[in-house]
Amino acid sequence: MNKHINDAKPPGWALKLIRTFLRHEYVEEVEGDMEERFRDDLEIYSSRKARLIFAWQTIRLMRSALLKKPGRHIRLNQYGMFKNHLKISTRYLAKNKRFTFINVLGLAIGLASFLLINEYIRFEKSYDNFFTDADQLYRVSYLRLDNGEIKVKDAYSSYSVGEALNDELPEVLRHTVTKGLRPTVLKYGQKTFTENNAVSADSNFLHLFDYKVLKGNPRTMLSGPASVVLTESRASTIFGEEDPIGKVIDAITPYNFSYQVTGVIEDIPVNTHYRFDMLVSDKTLKDEDDYQNWSYNNYMVYLKLKKGAVAGELNGKATAIIEKYKEYHGNVRLDIHPVKDIYLHSDFSYEPQPLGSKQSVDFLMIISVFILVIAWVNYINLSTARSVERAREVGMRKVLGAVRKQLVAQFLLETLLVNFLGALIALSIAELFLPSFNQLVEKQIIGHVWNHPPFLIRLTIFWLLGSIASGFYPALILSGFHPIAILKGKFKTSGSGATLRKGLVIVQFAASLILIATTFIIYQQVNYMQGRDLGISIDKVISVQVPAFNSNTDQAIDTYHKRIKSFKASLNTHSAIIGLGATSNLPGGISDDINVWNTTYQIAGHSEKQRGATFVQMNDNGFLKAMDLQLRAGRNFNTESASDSNAVLVNEAFLKRSDIYDYTQAVNSKLLLGGNQFNIVGVVNDFNRTSLKQGIEPTMYLPRSHVRNLVIKLNDANYLAGIEHLKQKWSSFFPDLPFEPVFIDDRFLALYKQDRQFGNIFSVFSILAISIAILGLYGLASFYSMQRSKEVGVRKVLGASKLQISYLFCKNFFQLIGLSAIIGLPIVYFSMDRWLNNYAYRIDFPWWLLVISLLIILLFAFFAIGYQTQKVASLDPAKTLKYE
Amino acid sequence: MKKNRLGEFQELILMTVVVLQGDAYGNEIQRNLEERLKERLSMGAIQTALKRMEDKGFLTSQWGAPTKKRGGKRKRIYTATTYAHQVLREMRDIRAQLWLAMPKLGTSNA
Repeated sequence: MNKHINDAKPPGWALKLIRTFLRHEYVEEVEGDMEERFRDDLEIYSSRKARLIFAWQTIRLMRSALLKKPGRHIRLNQYGMFKNHLKISTRYLAKNKRFTFINVLGLAIGLASFLLINEYIRFEKSYDNFFTDADQLYRVSYLRLDNGEIKVKDAYSSYSVGEALNDELPEVLRHTVTKGLRPTVLKYGQKTFTENNAVSADSNFLHLFDYKVLKGNPRTMLSGPASVVLTESRASTIFGEEDPIGKVIDAITPYNFSYQVTGVIEDIPVNTHYRFDMLVSDKTLKDEDDYQNWSYNNYMVYLKLKKGAVAGELNGKATAIIEKYKEYHGNVRLDIHPVKDIYLHSDFSYEPQPLGSKQSVDFLMIISVFILVIAWVNYINLSTARSVERAREVGMRKVLGAVRKQLVAQFLLETLLVNFLGALIALSIAELFLPSFNQLVEKQIIGHVWNHPPFLIRLTIFWLLGSIASGFYPALILSGFHPIAILKGKFKTSGSGATLRKGLVIVQFAASLILIATTFIIYQQVNYMQGRDLGISIDKVISVQVPAFNSNTDQAIDTYHKRIKSFKASLNTHSAIIGLGATSNLPGGISDDINVWNTTYQIAGHSEKQRGATFVQMNDNGFLKAMDLQLRAGRNFNTESASDSNAVLVNEAFLKRSDIYDYTQAVNSKLLLGGNQFNIVGVVNDFNRTSLKQGIEPTMYLPRSHVRNLVIKLNDANYLAGIEHLKQKWSSFFPDLPFEPVFIDDRFLALYKQDRQFGNIFSVFSILAISIAILGLYGLASFYSMQRSKEVGVRKVLGASKLQISYLFCKNFFQLIGLSAIIGLPIVYFSMDRWLNNYAYRIDFPWWLLVISLLIILLFAFFAIGYQTQKVASLDPAKTLKYE
Repeated sequence: MKKNRLGEFQELILMTVVVLQGDAYGNEIQRNLEERLKERLSMGAIQTALKRMEDKGFLTSQWGAPTKKRGGKRKRIYTATTYAHQVLREMRDIRAQLWLAMPKLGTSNA
């Protein structure tokens, strides 16, 4: 035979073509025929020609009678198997109700919690994203530097900055300048009310922040003086059914204008950092503020930049521009940052409203993932643990010709089914608990979940994802069984599977432990802050704000002062009022709510000249007594005495900053502050003006009798009578003004609102996570104890006591929990110790809470496991061993 | 006869199958027919005809022996059914009658 005949092979691609496209049952015959023919051809032709003929013949084989019918045959087959798998899965799930219940409930709670938290996180991240050009909106803020180091980061900048940047920076398309107005008492007809949410706005404002204009001309409604634009809901509270356009509202105090309503816009959504209910055209305020003053940093300046402009690159140019107008000696830098990032990422002071916390969002994200993973782990653990029960089925299927792929598909289908039930229940749970969830986070995130497409989409995604995540491993394990071993009855669960289950249980309990300990620590810190001695007495201290001087109603400043004075005097007559003072800054304000002088300070003869922030508060004579503030040295100032016009009080922190610990030496010393000179007459004890997140501020107290916040200390015994008296006097002195008293302790409580809320959210979801983990443990324990019932029988026959048997079971699980503590507790320590460092006043790391958390977990685990082992340990060995 | 018409090519193949008796597999049929027709046929055409006739019940088939030349693949041996024999006979009769009915052709070497 010629050599080429032996070596020649038909072209591989042609063979492949035959095998791929010809009907399966024809392939062997046709391929054989073709090959035989090829050999014959080789006898006659060259191998090249033979191959060519082969290829040509192959192509001519592609006739519809010989080709696979597209799909039909195969799909039919899979449908049959699918029906069978579905039937077997439903039967199995229906038969093993406890297993199904634990899995479905766990997955449902896990998925519902995860998705609700996800919805909240999305909401927190959605702030200021809804404006049409949200990507182009930026804010300009001032950074103050000292020797190149950033000392002050204020959100504010000055009016002139906006104009200068708009004129000279080509990247700026438009700018708007706005500022929050002080709470204003307004009057319409006979109605008076306090407007706390008014801001000024120029005609560009609605261009950048493009809220929908419902009434009025958007181009002109903010361009004239004395114009005001209301939100829809504000308009309806003031005017009811009347058409607001053209109506006149009077501001009584502290401003003194008449506004005409020129427009109505849609209500401002919750998810913006700059909320308001009233826009006052800035021309109205022209006389009040110095627009040309570069130092008057009370404005929010927003820019709309060209598409693609990089804000970071503009900072230098912007700073150079303002240096042209005013010499800052490199001590001021402008910072242009995206409006979208303000809510979660701003670290500026004087933000217009409380912001969110990136840290809380991250923490919540971690919890939600924990919960979901714990639920998935339950499924993995329970399914693999129960694999013994499925082994016979798997063996039988394999013997009957099932390939591994089919078995994987079967078990994945089962997981899909369980997860689908879980997802359905998750949807119901989420819908049912949405109102409670909204209450918990104190925000109306969404109204319903069932008609909220993004939620449904995510539900579907996580249903599928969860099915794969939790179903894939069990499916691989179950489908990997060796049929001969199974059917011989020699089947045993694999050691590696047990190790994995143990590992997963450890992960679950480590996560649970982290959550529970974290919750305890958050609450402990919040309680500590709420309960700590502030250095002042805030119990039964009430506050009202007297009207500002108003040239329309008061002929002269003297008459005004006299009126306030006689109001105060009328209060002092009542027996329930035991202290009365006035201050510029009520205790319990937010941290920004005070004036700060960033300048040099020196206590003559006792300290060197230094630079830093000095907090300045203005009080009258009565403030110390009303707040129960103690003098550490010296005396109180007297606002009535002319010789005290330069007198100041300072707090301990102020002196400690200059390393003065003997307070008496500071008394009667000169205080040089910037270019001013004061005389220190006394030293008051430190007290916390704001949240305990902040430390004590080095503060100077200036004597002023005409400050508007009155603090009134009431007698414990008859404080209600005192409030009644206050109300009566208020309405007789200020009949136009609403009586709106505030309790100082409420103000402090409000400061911790976010922390408390964070703790509440954390605790709810920690409890859920732990419940799911315990549920899984219960399932696992019940399975193991059933599986080992024969072993228990033998042990009992050989004389083991019930207690010994219970110990045998619990030991294993408790070892796992012990291991999870070794992993979890260090994580708690490192993360929470860092969290506590956010607070100037923090608790020492509470080790005992870790012990309590561990004990709680052990207790729950003990109940979950104990119940099952008890049941098995009590079984009559005669029954369990009957069949041996 | 009406329903299961045999095409001319199919009829040729069917007859070849009968002629070859126990050895009627794809290649052998093809070789035999190629010799008689003195032209090269495509395997696709042969196979298609075989499968069609099998579907219509003219042929049955079973696996034969594998050979080394075929790369160890088995042959598929085709057998004509009784029905096929009957149809072939009918066809022959129809043709014979037609021949008889035909007027004499000019030059015939029959």
